[in-house]
Order: sequence, then structure tokens, then C-alpha cells
Amino acid sequence: MSVEKGAKNSSDLSLEEKELLEQFVDDNQLYYGPDPKIVRNHKLMPRTQEEECALESDIDAQRINLVRGRLESALEEGFNMVEKMGVAPGAKWGDLVTAIFTASGDMAQIAPSGIGVFASVCQYPIKFINKYWTNESTVGVKDGDGFIHNDSRYGGVHNTDQSMIVPVFYSGKLICWIATIIHEGENGSIEPGGLPSIAESPFDEGLKMSPFRCAENFQLKRDIVNFLQNSVRDPKLQYADMKVKLHASLRLRERVLSVIEEFGKEALVGSLRKTLEDTEAEVRRRIGELPDGTVRINTWLDHSLREPLLAKVPMAVTIDDDRMIFDFRGACPELANRSINTHISAFKTCLATNMILYVWPDLPVNQAIFSPIEMLTNRNSLVDPSNDSPNAMSLLPLFRAMSIPSSLFAKLYFCLPKRYTALTASHYNQPATFIYGGVTQHGEVTGNFCADINGNGTGAREDNDGENAMSPLFGAVADTGEHELAEEELPYVRLVGQQLAKDRIGFGKYRGGLGYEQMVTVRSSSFWGFMTGQCGSKHPSVYGVFGGYGCPAYPLAKVKGINIFNEVKENPNALKLDIVEMMNAQEIPDADYIVQQAAMSFEPCAEGEIYMICQGAGGGYGDVLERDPFQVLKDVEENILSTALAEEIYKVIIDPETLILDEPASINARCEEREKRKVRGRPYKEFCKDWVQPGPSEDLPYMGSWGDTGEEIIASPPGESRYTMRGDEMAAVMLSNPKDRRIRELENEIWQLRNKN
Amino acid sequence: MTNEIKRISVDIGGTFTDCFVSWGAQYVQAKALTTHHNLALGFNDALDIAVKELGVDKLTLLSQLESVRYATTLGTNALIERKGPRIGMLTTEGFASTVPCSRGRGHGDGLSYEEKHDIPRASRPEPIVPIPMIKTVSERLAYDGSVLLPLDEDDVRNKLRDLVDQGAESIVVVLINSVVNPSNELRIREIYQEEYPGYFLGAVPMLLSHQIVGRKGEYARATSTIIDGFLHKVMYQGLGTLELNLRASGYKKPMLINHNSGGMAQLNSTDALQTVHSGPVSGIAASEHLALNGALGNVIATDMGGTSFDIGVVTEGEEKHYDFQPVIDRWLVSVPMIHLVTLGAGGGSIASYDRLYDRVKIGPESAGSTPGPACYGRGGDRPTVTDADLLLGYLDPNNYAKGRIKLDETKAESALACELSDKLNMDAISIAKLVKENIDQHMANGVATELRSRGYIPDEFTMLAYGGNGPLHCCGIANALGIKKVLAPPFASVFSALGAGNVDQLHIHEMSTFTTLFDTNKKSLLTTFEELNSAIDELELRGREDLIRQGVDISKLQYRIEFDMRYGNQRVETPVVSPIRRFKSMSDVLTLISKLHERYGEQYGEGSQAAEAGVRINTIRVASFLEVEKVDFSRILPVEERVGAVSVGERDCHFVGYTEPVETRLYDDQALKVGTSIDGPALVTTEATTYLVEPGWNFHSSNHGAVWFTRLGLGEIK
Repeated sequence: MSVEKGAKNSSDLSLEEKELLEQFVDDNQLYYGPDPKIVRNHKLMPRTQEEECALESDIDAQRINLVRGRLESALEEGFNMVEKMGVAPGAKWGDLVTAIFTASGDMAQIAPSGIGVFASVCQYPIKFINKYWTNESTVGVKDGDGFIHNDSRYGGVHNTDQSMIVPVFYSGKLICWIATIIHEGENGSIEPGGLPSIAESPFDEGLKMSPFRCAENFQLKRDIVNFLQNSVRDPKLQYADMKVKLHASLRLRERVLSVIEEFGKEALVGSLRKTLEDTEAEVRRRIGELPDGTVRINTWLDHSLREPLLAKVPMAVTIDDDRMIFDFRGACPELANRSINTHISAFKTCLATNMILYVWPDLPVNQAIFSPIEMLTNRNSLVDPSNDSPNAMSLLPLFRAMSIPSSLFAKLYFCLPKRYTALTASHYNQPATFIYGGVTQHGEVTGNFCADINGNGTGAREDNDGENAMSPLFGAVADTGEHELAEEELPYVRLVGQQLAKDRIGFGKYRGGLGYEQMVTVRSSSFWGFMTGQCGSKHPSVYGVFGGYGCPAYPLAKVKGINIFNEVKENPNALKLDIVEMMNAQEIPDADYIVQQAAMSFEPCAEGEIYMICQGAGGGYGDVLERDPFQVLKDVEENILSTALAEEIYKVIIDPETLILDEPASINARCEEREKRKVRGRPYKEFCKDWVQPGPSEDLPYMGSWGDTGEEIIASPPGESRYTMRGDEMAAVMLSNPKDRRIRELENEIWQLRNKN
Repeated sequence: MTNEIKRISVDIGGTFTDCFVSWGAQYVQAKALTTHHNLALGFNDALDIAVKELGVDKLTLLSQLESVRYATTLGTNALIERKGPRIGMLTTEGFASTVPCSRGRGHGDGLSYEEKHDIPRASRPEPIVPIPMIKTVSERLAYDGSVLLPLDEDDVRNKLRDLVDQGAESIVVVLINSVVNPSNELRIREIYQEEYPGYFLGAVPMLLSHQIVGRKGEYARATSTIIDGFLHKVMYQGLGTLELNLRASGYKKPMLINHNSGGMAQLNSTDALQTVHSGPVSGIAASEHLALNGALGNVIATDMGGTSFDIGVVTEGEEKHYDFQPVIDRWLVSVPMIHLVTLGAGGGSIASYDRLYDRVKIGPESAGSTPGPACYGRGGDRPTVTDADLLLGYLDPNNYAKGRIKLDETKAESALACELSDKLNMDAISIAKLVKENIDQHMANGVATELRSRGYIPDEFTMLAYGGNGPLHCCGIANALGIKKVLAPPFASVFSALGAGNVDQLHIHEMSTFTTLFDTNKKSLLTTFEELNSAIDELELRGREDLIRQGVDISKLQYRIEFDMRYGNQRVETPVVSPIRRFKSMSDVLTLISKLHERYGEQYGEGSQAAEAGVRINTIRVASFLEVEKVDFSRILPVEERVGAVSVGERDCHFVGYTEPVETRLYDDQALKVGTSIDGPALVTTEATTYLVEPGWNFHSSNHGAVWFTRLGLGEIK
């Protein structure tokens, strides 16, 4: 920021001057941008006077419990309405929530079937409305209003999620807020489907709705709706779902008012507040049960969705008596023109999601789960960027936030007798699905994503294998849907719908759940295309625990320049419905068989061209040599493991023809392997001496700290020189356009060839 | 409606075989233990009790019966116990893991929220088809039925051989989009019959998915076909034994089987999946019959037993409420089944302390019948709802379950006190009141969610309360819901059997379609009707053939045409009963669209309709049915007469909202005499159940043993 001539630098101002300046700026706002005081604060708001009064009144815990039950029923009713009436694929397959917030904006209760992270993060726009619009003479907040927002910088997972926020008034006073949020998908971004991987600035990300009123007197304002419809590719979706969310919210509002009528205003206000405070107290108790110390994990994203790089996302959890500190210092710097940054508010709520789903699933879902936790991040890092960078594909770091804490908590809980669920390795953590856009066979323009995102492999458990392709890591009850129904609306054809990806396993004493192959083509469309938003093709996305293996790396494969429907008429063998076989056999002579990193920006798909990706596996748990050989045999019988890998990894010998387990040979093989391990084994210090390097190899596009401290951050922008920054003084890193780099490479080659000649 | 019907209806449950006999003007109920090895024996035992009460001999009775009808949980139990053949499955190549992956949601289907949400502990149920028994064949049809990849017949032969070699005892075929074009499934059956003709001993049955389910959705159709194949033999054998037994005993007509659709059919027109849950569904059918027959208006049917609380909705002037994709056991299936929601709340629900909220938490754990509540003295030491009910004075320790179970108050008190007293700083009685209030509220919330999600207002409903604990908790539930009238129906202990006797002969056939009525892009309405009308023709024909096969008089057949409709691409498919039988003009289309508008607005709120986004039909459904005579229950309405009753004693009982115990009058089954009117607080204990008349409520008995609870002025509740 430059300092104008004659102006003092703000750090040189006295306290009094600072207050005066702040007041002046507040009174003369040019624009109400995302407010860091709101979006950086994950603590509960202080008790309001109404809350104090309510909690001091004579309502007891049992009465509050009745109110809570009534609200839960109402929230579920609202959820059912949205799920049934919703048009977005996300709504159809469970990626939505209905929630109640205190008058101050704290998220207190959600529909039991809802996606908690959507609700948690919606506290921020509500707090924004409270702070900026309530007393703004041209806006205000009144009964019958509905506010919409999608800009994740004001609080949101990403810009595909659109909220409907409705205030609830009783006797003229604001009592609480209600919100309904759906992953809508299409939002007019530079690529269809709302998840643009090529977004280079926030202005490539489509609709940027700061919280604003879109409904008055319980009705949508058609001029506003029209404007929004005009800004997206699927105006039908935009209109229909706004209506759905408003009506579900109004139904929920009615129910809340009836609770007030029956139990009194104090009971409702007291219930919401007490739910939060009781949860927070319980979390503090549970923190107190954990052993003191620090556990950590270093993880890396291997792609920016535009180019390969190694972007570090570390996490350390420190328990110090009743304090729990999450430390992400050392993370990759903010990428100024790449879409995989995530805002800190979303990042925190995703961490909370992991704890709700994988560590303390018995706790109620509200934002107090996270309020006792302290966070350490470097500003201008991938997980705590400025507002100037795009974050449309924040799912990459966010999915990591929703997966890695559980492996750390497995370590913390390992020696404790009291657990709240099973210890587990990480759930698979990539949004492994096709995002699509184009014209359907019915002539409709659309853009969205497939429900395959909801079928991640789960991590192996302390006492059992993980489950194959079971639920997304962000929710327990989402759905991958039915392909017959999807194909009815959309022009793609799932050549492989769901087929578990054989041999692609997080091995261990207990193995992670597997993902499945997805092979897709298109038919009967005048224009269609696909993109993906995942990484993990070179470096595994999920790691194992206690000796278990991580998941494998998954590439994207495609066959271009063909129409498979014509090819199979000539040669039925042209199509192999198995990715590995398809790419190894290469039966079609003139086809382009391409394997690439799984990240792919939007590209057109001609009729009959084939795209292939995989849902991934969860991490393994424990030593592979301890796996029950009969469980290995079962995997082979179920055709998810080859006999070759059974032998190579587990040292279990199975006849490939008869599938008979050779127990004595397996015992021998395992003994031999244990002996070899002893030979390979070296003292830790000796190992470190050879293994630990002072820094990453020069050719690695490495981003983040090296080692466990976050003091020095390495930035290696592809095609440019590497440099370092202090962790506490980081600046965003600007990356060149991969196409420009490629042009430069080609020009170099041409220059060299010319010189040669 | 007639008083001269001679009919037996039976509900064969896991523990008891319930029997309801309508013998002219006489109605008799009987109960016997279910004999799983031969269901006929349990039925005969129940019948013996009934004939004794009627004073006729069995042969006379059976030879004069107009019909015998069965509802049964046999299929449900076989599914839970995994008693069935080794199934092999053939599906389209590329979809081998569709069933094992269960849409990513199968770990949670059929479980409580708490269980669903614990992902680290979540597990799918043991598969019905062992995964190595799933084979794929090369073929693929597009969404519109056109052939993308032809069926590879050599591949089919090889895979069939694999399945037979691996010991398949039943084979199901589920090909993608087969409901639009069934030719490949049909060809597979032809090949199978060529390779393994049916006349060989040990021939293995084959089921084709498009013949079981008419709508799209490969996973739900596959599970439906699998369950059908799995239960086929056990159901056929079980029900076949019953039919043989009836013939041997003098009944010569075809036996009728109740379906979960709320209808019934002969054995030769029943598939196994249609029988699952037909017992509980018959309870809803009974509620529907009483509602219509007794002109009760809207009814919410509730069945509170030992472990669960079932809820069903019956609304006046509307069609039955269906689930088209219900969860059976742990499996999402595709079958039109009467809507029934089950909550984990019953007498055996365990009360525990919730540290987080400093409160009593009820369930989801249940003590079941073994060990049962602590007061049973069978080893259970966790406090349950029944323990609380006993402590509050509602249950007679010496006269519970016809005196078969002696209740131990000390054990109940001790269980409540040990688990909760210190933590809540309350005495056992106060805790018991909390338990009662919480369980009633929990059930009320379940009812409220059900009704309100459908756009109904609870206090506009009459609540039917049956099941072992229904009449004990109904006032508490109704209080929480604002419901003013509760009917403890007649023959409540054999209520599903009663329902089984009062349904129509009914077949429902469905067909997936993609019919756009209003295309928002083209701004056009449907103008060609041939395809739509011929689909209706086809479905009516199927229904007609089903009923003709059963020898019914086709001149009396009726058809109800329904469409599952939606706005734009939304998920919900709002069922709309079509006022149009065959479409002839654009105005017919508009009539149907306005019907959707009306129905949708009722359910989701006026103004929520979105025809602007387009209007589509996704499923065509034809219900073909033959109305049959029903047993007359019109006299169950409250009678004019109000007479007092002589109490048999008094007991101090504790009630929610009362700090001190309230002296409560006790009555025996004399209180069921028609016209008896008792104001609460009172307890009526009969052989079958306990009626708790809470303060502020009136008990009024009517004909056939029906009891009406009506709420007195709210001011009377202290």
C-alpha cells in the first residue's frame, strides 16, 4: 500500500488518532468488503442482553431440551423440502443444509441430515448483515426479508454455494436467523459448473454476491432474480432453487415462531445460546482428556489445477492442558492467480467438519465445536490468503482440512481408553468427479458436476477395513445417485458407472476403502465438455497411519479423436470397460490415448470421445504383514486385488487360477520379508543423516516450508527462479500462464532448431 | 359395506399370529404363537381360539368363508436373518460395483441418525449377493432405449455358466435402462432357458429387473430384484404351506395375500417383495378403513410397541401416501409401498444421561424384550420407558401382559436412580416424569415432521393409537402435538390383521417416462399424446391381466392413473392423480398442470410452484383395482350415551406438570362397556392393554371396544 504525501503511516498513529481514523472510515465507507473482524473470528459472539435474560430466567435444561427437539424436527422438515424440491444436482444428492443461528449470527443447530460445513460458514454473512445492513438506512433488516450470498470471501466454502438467509422477528424484535444453503453449481464463472480451475482472479469466478436482500414481504424480488438469471448459464436452475430455498426458509420460520408461541421467546433464545455454550464446554472437557504434546503431519497438493507443483499443507496439533492449537504455519504461499486458495473462515469450518465426522461424531453440529480451538496460520498463505486471489477451487485445501486431522487424532487417542469413535486413517480427499457443461439432448444449456463426488473410500479403522466408496468426506448421508436418471437429463453416457478400482488400495493391516472407476463419453449434444478439479496424480493425496499405506496416485486418461459408438460397430474389442486395460490395449489404431495428471481445465468432448478418472481410496491402518491372509483372499475373490499384489504387498500367496490360499508359503514369505526388513533397517539418526536434505531439489516446483518449522517459506514458481520469504511476511506468488510457458519452450526449441540449421 | 361378511384375515408376525374373524355380525379376535417351521400350525391354533369363541366348528367356518387373507412379516424376518438362496447377478459391464457401493449411502439406510453419522464406525450390511457372484455382460442401452453396444451372447453364456458353477440358486438380471428397452434382459432369459431348461431337476429361477420394477434407477431396481429373488423361495414355501393347510381344512377358494401397496392379490399374482412389511402396512390399511368407514377425517396412525414407534398418514379425500423408494431392512428398493416411518422409540427404549446438555436422553438403544426393562427382572439393569411408566404408577405390577410378566418396582427405581439420580440431582420419580415427557415429545416431533413435511397441520388430525404402549402414551403425545382427539381403535391388539381384511384387490404398475408437458426453452406445451396414451393403455393392460388371472369380474375393474411430476429438473416427483384418462388436447395438459400446481402448493406452500422452469412427467403409474366389501366399523364413532363406571380402586400416580402425586381411579375392562365416560386422571387396565387417561382428558368407550380420548379445556390442565 502506498502512503500519500503528507499522510502518516498508520503504524505511526496514536491510539486516539487510530480511533478517529477508524470512525471516519466507518462513516465514509466506499464499499463494504469482507470484514476481517468478522471472517477471522471463529469464537462465539458475546452473550447478548436477551441471551443473558433468557439464561437467567427459570427455563431449565429439560425444557430447553424439548425446544431443541422441536427445532430439530423443524429443521429436518425444511431439509426434506429442499432436498425434494431442489433442482441443483447438489440438492438432489444431499449437498445442502438448513440451519438456525442466534440473533448475533452464531450457528446453533442444523438439520440432522444436513452438511454441517455449509451451515457453519454461513455465520459470517449473517454477521455481516447484522453489522452493515441492519442500521443502513437504504437497506435495513425486516420481517419478510430474504438475503442471498455466494461470495466465499464473506464466508462460504466456494462460490457455487448459494444461501438464503431469513431473519425471524417476534413482536418486532429480531430473535434468530434461518439459512438454507445448496451447492448450486453453475454460477456464470469462466468455466461452466461454477468450479473454474482456470480462474486467475476473483472476477473470473462468476457471480460475486455479497450478502444482499433478494426477497421482501416473503417474496422474491423478480428484478433481482432476473439479474441473477441473466448472469448464469442455467437461468432455470437459478430461479427454481431461489424459490425452493425461500419457501423452505419460510416454512422453517413458521415453525420457529410456533416454538416461541408454545415455549416463549426466552426458551428459544436460551436454547440456541445454551446449545452453543454446552457444546463448547464439552469440547473443552474433551481437550482436557487428551495427552499433552504435539502431533503433526506434512502433506502436499501436487497440482494447482493449471500446472504441477508441490504445495505444502502441514498441520500440527498441540495439546497444552486445556488448550488445543492447530498450526498451519509453513503452508504454501497464496497463489495470486490460481483458484486453489481457500479463505480462512472456510478452512476453519472444514477442520471443524473433520472433528464432527471423524473424531467426535456424537457431538451436536454447531460452530462451538471449533470455538475453543486456537489457530496459527501464516497470512497470505494458501490457507489464509488475501481477498484478491481467486478461490473457486478451494476444495483442494478444504478437502485436506476435512481429512488430515483424523489421522492426527488417531495418534492422540491411541493410548486413551475413552474414545468417541473408531480411530481411522484419512478418508479419500479429492473431489474426484467430472464437472460438465454444454447443451443437453433436450436443448437446455447447463453446467454442473456429477454426484460421484459423494463416493470417497473411507480410511481404514483400528479394527476393520475402510468402506469402499462410501459418502463424501464432508457429510455422512450424501448420495452418488442413479446413472439412469442422470443420463436421462444429460447427454453423457457412463460407459463405466461404478466399478471398484482394482489394486488401487491404501494397504495395511486394515486396508482403506477403495474408490471406483468413472469412464464417460457424450452423445446427442451439439456442444459438451468436461473438466475436473482434482490432484493427487503424482503424490498420494491420502496417507496411512501406523504403518498403513497411503492411497495410490490417480491419473486422468482419455481417448480422443474417435467416436467409440462407431468404433465398436467395426470392432467390438475397441472398448475395454476398465481403465487399465483400455489404456494398455490401445485397440483403436488412430486414436489418441492420453494419460495426464487428473487436473483438467474445461475442454470440449466430441461425441464418442472417452474420459476416465477414479474415485480414490482411503488410507491404510497398520502393518501389511499383519493383515489376515483370509482377508487378503477375500479381496482377491472380490476382484479388487490381484494375486500379484497380494504377494508383493501382503506376502500372501494365492494361486491365480484356483484362488486357493497357500498358507504355509505365505507364512514363509512373511518371515522372509520380516528378515529383510531387519536387514534394511537402520538406526533413526543414521537414516536421517542420509534421508534428510537441506532443501527440495532444484527442479521441484516446491511451495511452502521445508521441515517442520514455518519460519522460511520457499516459492518456486514454474519457469522462474526459486526464492524464499519469511513465514510471517509472506506475499502472494504470481504464476505465469502455462500456455505462455509452453510457447516460450516451443519458441526456444524453434530458436535452437533454427540455430542448428 | 355389510355386516354379513364371513372372512378371516391374519397377520403372521415374528412372535404372534394374529387373527381377525368377521362372521356375519360377529367380530372375533384371536392370537397364537407363530410357528416358524410351519406357519399353518400357528394359524390353526389361532383359528381354534376363534371358532371356540364363535361357537362354530372349523370346517363349517372355513367352508363358508368368502376369503382368507394374510399379511405377514415373514419376508422381513427372512431378510433380517438372511435366510435365502445363494443369488447370482448379471449386470451391464461397467456397473459391477453398483450394488456393492450402494450409492455411497447404503451404510446408513435403515439406521438411526446417530449410527449414520458415525462414519468411522459405519459399515454396510453383509451383501445379499456375495460380490464374487456378480458378473457383468457386454451390452449397453442408452437412456432412450437405443442400442449403444449390442448384447454379447457368448459372453452371456459364459457368465451364466460361471454363476451356475459357483452354486447360484437364483439368478437376477439387471441391465442398464432395461425398463425402457427390455429386449436384452428378455434375450438373456431365452439363452438361459436354452442352456438350462426349466424341466431339469434343480432348475434355478431367473428374475428380470424390468419385470419387478418399472421405473429407472439401476441401484434401487437391482436391490428390489435381488430381494425378490432372495425371498421368493421362503415366501413361496411358507405361504404355499398355508394354502395347502387351508385346502385340507375345507377352504377351497384361493388364498389372498396382502401387499405392502395396501392392496392384495392371490399367491399367483404376488411377488415376494410386495409382501415385505405387509404386516405393519396393514395397520395403516386398518386406520384408513376406520377413517373412511367411521368418517374420522384426517388420521395419523401410530403404533407404539416395545422397540419402535410406527407412523402412517391417512388423509381425507386423498389417495394413499406412498413411498416409491422405501428402505426395507438396510436396502433402498423401488416398490410403491404405503408410507410408514419407524422411530426407535418404545417401552424398551433406554434412558441415559447426556453429559453435554445435562439432560435425559431416550434411546436409540433399546432393551428389547431380552433382557427387557429392568422391572422385568430378567437381567436388564438399564432404565427404560416402561420402568418410568411403572414408577409413575401407570402399570399394574401384577397384571401386566395378562399377568405373564411380574413387574418389580424396586428394580425400576434402582435402575433409574443409579443411572440418573446423581447426575441430574433428582429423585427417581422426577426422573421418571422426565423420561415420560421426553419420549412423548420425541414421538410427537416424529409425527409433526411427518405431517408438516406434507403440508398438514397436526391439530387437524385424529390420532389413532395402537400397539402395546399406544393407549398408555397417546395423551402425552397428543398434548405435545396439540391434537384434541385420539382413538384407541377396536381390536387394537390384532389391528394389522383387522386391516388385512379390509383392502381392495390391487395391482400397481409403473413406467418411467421423460414427457415434457411444458418446455420452458421452446415455450411449448405437449401436443402429441400418442406415446403417453399408449403407455397408459399398456399399464392398464398389465393390471387387467393380473386381475383376470385371479378370476375377477372385469366389468368391475377400476383404474387410477397417476403421474409423478416435477418442475424443471428438480428431484421431487409429486404424485398427481390424473383427472384425465386419455389426453386429447392441450387443455387436458393444462388441467394436469393445474392439478400439479394445486398438489404442490398444498405440500410446499402456495407460491412455491415453479411452472416457469418447465413441467415434466417422470413416471406413469396405473393402479388397477377391484373394490371389495369391507367389514363395517361405522359404529365406532363416539356414542351419545355417557355413563359413569365403577372404579376398582385408586392409586397415586405421577403426572408431568404436577409436583405432587395425584390420586388416580383405577378401572378394569368393564370400562370398555359402550358409553362409559371417565375423566382423567384415570387408569383402565384390561387384558390387552393399559389406557392412561391423563388429567385434562376424557375416556369414552364406543362400539367394538373402541375408545375415544378427547381433550377437555386446556384450562383444566394444571
